[in-house]
Amino acid sequence: MTGSEAMTRDERGIAASPAAAAPLIEVEDLEVAYHVYGSAPNRALRGISFQIMPGQILGLVGESGVGKSTLARAIMGVLPSPGRIERGQVRFMGSDLVAFDEAELAKERGRNLAMIVANPRGELNPLLPIGRQIAEVARAHLAVGREEAARLAIDMLKAVSIPDPERRMRAFPHELSGGMAQRVVIAIALVCSPKFVISDDATSGLDVTVQAQILNLLRRLAREKHMAMLYITRDIGVAANFCDRIAIIYRGQIVEEAPTDAFFGGPEHPYSNLLLAAFVHDPRLRARWGAALARVTPAAGEAACLFADHCVNRQERCVSERPALEESTPGRLVRCHFPVHR
Amino acid sequence: MGTLRYIGGRLLFLVPQIFGIVLVGFLLVKAVPGDPATLMLGPMATPDSIAKLRGELGLDKPLPVQFIIYINRIAHGDFGTSWQTTQPVVEDLAVRFPATLELVSFGLLVALAIGIPLGIVSATRRHRVLARIGDFYGLVAGALPDFWLALILIYVFYSLLGWMSSPIGRIDVMLLPPRTITGFYTIDSLVEGNWPAFRSSLAHLVLPVLTLGLVNAGPILKTTQSAMERMLQADFSLYARLCGLPEKLVMRHALRNALPSIVTIVSVLYGFLIGGAVLVEIVFSWGGAGQYAVQGVLNADFNPVLGFVIFSALFSLIVYLVVDLVYLAIDPRIRQ
Amino acid sequence: MEPLLEVTELVKHFPLEGTRSVVQAVNGVSFSINKGETLSLVGESGSGKTTVGRCVLGLIPPTGGKILFRRKPTGHGWNVRSPGMRGKIQLVFQEPGESLDPRMPVMASIEEPLRSMKLTAGKRRERVRDVIERVHLPQGLLEQYPSELSAGQQQRVAIARAIVTEPELLVLDEPTSALSPTARAEIIDLLVHVQRELGTAYLFISHDLSAVHQLSHRTAVMYLGRIVEEGMSDEVFRTPHHPYSVGLLSSVMLPSPDLKRETTFVLEGEIPSPIDLPPGCPLVSRCPFRIERCAAAFPDTAMVTPTHRVHCYRHDEVAGREKATDTFAAFQRIAERVLSLPHHGEAVAITKARD
Repeated sequence: MTGSEAMTRDERGIAASPAAAAPLIEVEDLEVAYHVYGSAPNRALRGISFQIMPGQILGLVGESGVGKSTLARAIMGVLPSPGRIERGQVRFMGSDLVAFDEAELAKERGRNLAMIVANPRGELNPLLPIGRQIAEVARAHLAVGREEAARLAIDMLKAVSIPDPERRMRAFPHELSGGMAQRVVIAIALVCSPKFVISDDATSGLDVTVQAQILNLLRRLAREKHMAMLYITRDIGVAANFCDRIAIIYRGQIVEEAPTDAFFGGPEHPYSNLLLAAFVHDPRLRARWGAALARVTPAAGEAACLFADHCVNRQERCVSERPALEESTPGRLVRCHFPVHR
Repeated sequence: MGTLRYIGGRLLFLVPQIFGIVLVGFLLVKAVPGDPATLMLGPMATPDSIAKLRGELGLDKPLPVQFIIYINRIAHGDFGTSWQTTQPVVEDLAVRFPATLELVSFGLLVALAIGIPLGIVSATRRHRVLARIGDFYGLVAGALPDFWLALILIYVFYSLLGWMSSPIGRIDVMLLPPRTITGFYTIDSLVEGNWPAFRSSLAHLVLPVLTLGLVNAGPILKTTQSAMERMLQADFSLYARLCGLPEKLVMRHALRNALPSIVTIVSVLYGFLIGGAVLVEIVFSWGGAGQYAVQGVLNADFNPVLGFVIFSALFSLIVYLVVDLVYLAIDPRIRQ
Repeated sequence: MEPLLEVTELVKHFPLEGTRSVVQAVNGVSFSINKGETLSLVGESGSGKTTVGRCVLGLIPPTGGKILFRRKPTGHGWNVRSPGMRGKIQLVFQEPGESLDPRMPVMASIEEPLRSMKLTAGKRRERVRDVIERVHLPQGLLEQYPSELSAGQQQRVAIARAIVTEPELLVLDEPTSALSPTARAEIIDLLVHVQRELGTAYLFISHDLSAVHQLSHRTAVMYLGRIVEEGMSDEVFRTPHHPYSVGLLSSVMLPSPDLKRETTFVLEGEIPSPIDLPPGCPLVSRCPFRIERCAAAFPDTAMVTPTHRVHCYRHDEVAGREKATDTFAAFQRIAERVLSLPHHGEAVAITKARD
């Protein structure tokens, strides 16, 4: 990181201290399960809690299938129908989103609460020009007329660095490259200047150079508009470069949360160490943290830590008592009876 | 520019398409048993006169030669004469084709007016009662024979209730049909300012149009319903809701994306009904093209049959061309 | 030693339907691979690297240029269907779930390439059992169907299938892109292990630079159908000389909190379309170093070292100005240091009072 970037991180770190500001969004004990007829419910999220300050970017890192997308959709209120929020609260701007009905949620979505989706060309309406799709979202939430909305759309296209925006307004989704379509989807998410933005794996399909540009863009916009952002990804490298804090999610639970620099100075949860070990060449070092992955038969029971089956540091207590997410060092949370302190 | 070139190309392609249809039609018609000469002269005819008539009709020549003669005549606009009506086929069709077109066009409009809204309601399940009605309707309409429905409607509305005028023909027997411009009695009488003719032709259209409309609303409803259901579950609809767009707008976009499927079925029905409305035409003594062709088949009167086949094929091809242009207008992805 | 594969001025153009335009997927690519070595083709989507792979396999006919396998030009008489070449070049795809037939058990999938060779059924099964061990999978897996396996296991099966004929060259097209980081690391380990044991050469096509860094002896960087830089992997990663290589390497994000980014630019703009490319260097629309000459003609080969070549008129300046760190190597060191530090997990657990 260059010097200027390091300084901005500290600035945001100071702003994030509890005394200074209240969190913009606070998720508490969120539990989501998918109920499929004929089998036990699939517990996708088991008590997720976190908070994000305005202007802060929280990275949520986990492998496929651990519940990252489920979390995004639960917060936005668009869980597909076999999924239900069983417990928990999502406190946003003084209200609990979980208690909202569809009509109230629809008012918030796009307006104060927005999501940047992955696979943008698949999600945009193939029959409408992109300018119109941006303008429609503006008109749905802001009290603007057709011309004003079109102007807002052009402004957004400029803000996301799409060249020749007046002409591009009339382009159709299939005419855009992946990078451009991703920028359009960002433009749609940000046109109403929402307070909170979720990026659901939004840049993983893009080429490396395009991804770098888009993340620079998102960071600049987030800073300018004082948004809080939840950046969901499988790529720990990207999260490290882009986010202020990192949360690691494993099987529906957050197992560690820490400021990015501190995290990479020494992850505290064995699973986090495992994720980091995937980058090193030395197979012995990888085995040191991942040897237990080969364990095929689950030894742990219902009450055990969810990572116990694959944890190299497993002890007696891990199998009989599930750990809670607690503060280990100031500003850091970890869900482990025997966190790794160096 | 590209569009004009496309249309030009398609119109040019019509020629070999028509040729193929004429060839197949000709061969099929010749395969129908029954000798026209015998039928024309009646049971008292002598073998000599039959042979003489066959010679005159050219029926003794080899098949390929007959075909070439026929193609040649068509190219000059001579579709032959119907020995039943003793009129040139072209003149017969000039009256009967518009009659069928008028009936079928209004019928399809009614079918659309019933089928599309019900299809949308069934797909979105907004009103539970209406949705159930839509489901039931889709089920039943496919099973309804159109001539049976026609008879029922006549019985109820004419015989029992006396609300409708007599179900014979396109216009009241006492009135003269309007001057022919398009062949559509309704349009022609409007243009003329001939109010009695207009009211009468409209009144005579009610029952047959209702019949066709009610029956054909079934497939339109089912197509609309399934297309709408798919579009409402598609990624772009979920995304639209994710952006907080109101549900009405989401539905409007879904409908727009469902249009190609609906347009397809309408075009297929349109082409089909030109001949397919024959039973309704017979029940209402409409004097339409389908009726004309059927009589030709039953009496081995080849010229009307071939004439009808060619005209209705041409009509279908033009309908498909229009439909393809509509697709181009709706879906920008095709324009590439 | 004769090179196993020699590609000279390979060109592949795809005509666009209905127009006279042409997609210039590959525009004059040359490289060679020796026995037992790994050459990586690196680049963004649209660079043409997948097309190069397909041409090498003989799946699509080149528009121009020559491909020599074992010094003989490939073509009608000498391709993957010819008796002498059958099974000698194999392929591993990106999506393990999609490259395996879901209706065939694992045993049958792995056995399939052996069917074109003269072997009895018994011998075939034996080879399959051998190879399944080589990829560190249990024998019991042979009876299962692909849907019952994890992505990492599926990719191992795909690799097993590819090496069962003991090929001399393995073309791998993005084999790690669809995998989680831990599975990715395991597959790379496996590929290293297989190469050591069997002496198979790899043509590794990928945009996953960390995998490339670990696996390849030599790396070639492709952009819009051309190789812009090629050399020993160390050379290319530590001292890139082409602006595109520099931009690409500096865009990759590694968790490198202690590393300062030395380079001053990130490549701006979109990748132009490969249809009807103008003459000259394809990077000209995005390159901060461009001069007039760049648009006129594609730069010839410049040798930085006997093993490191680059195609750029200003490559010396680029290397001089942009002090690129080998971020990958640096990050390896940091991660290894962090992870091998002794930790006090147990001590903390005993001393910390819990409620």
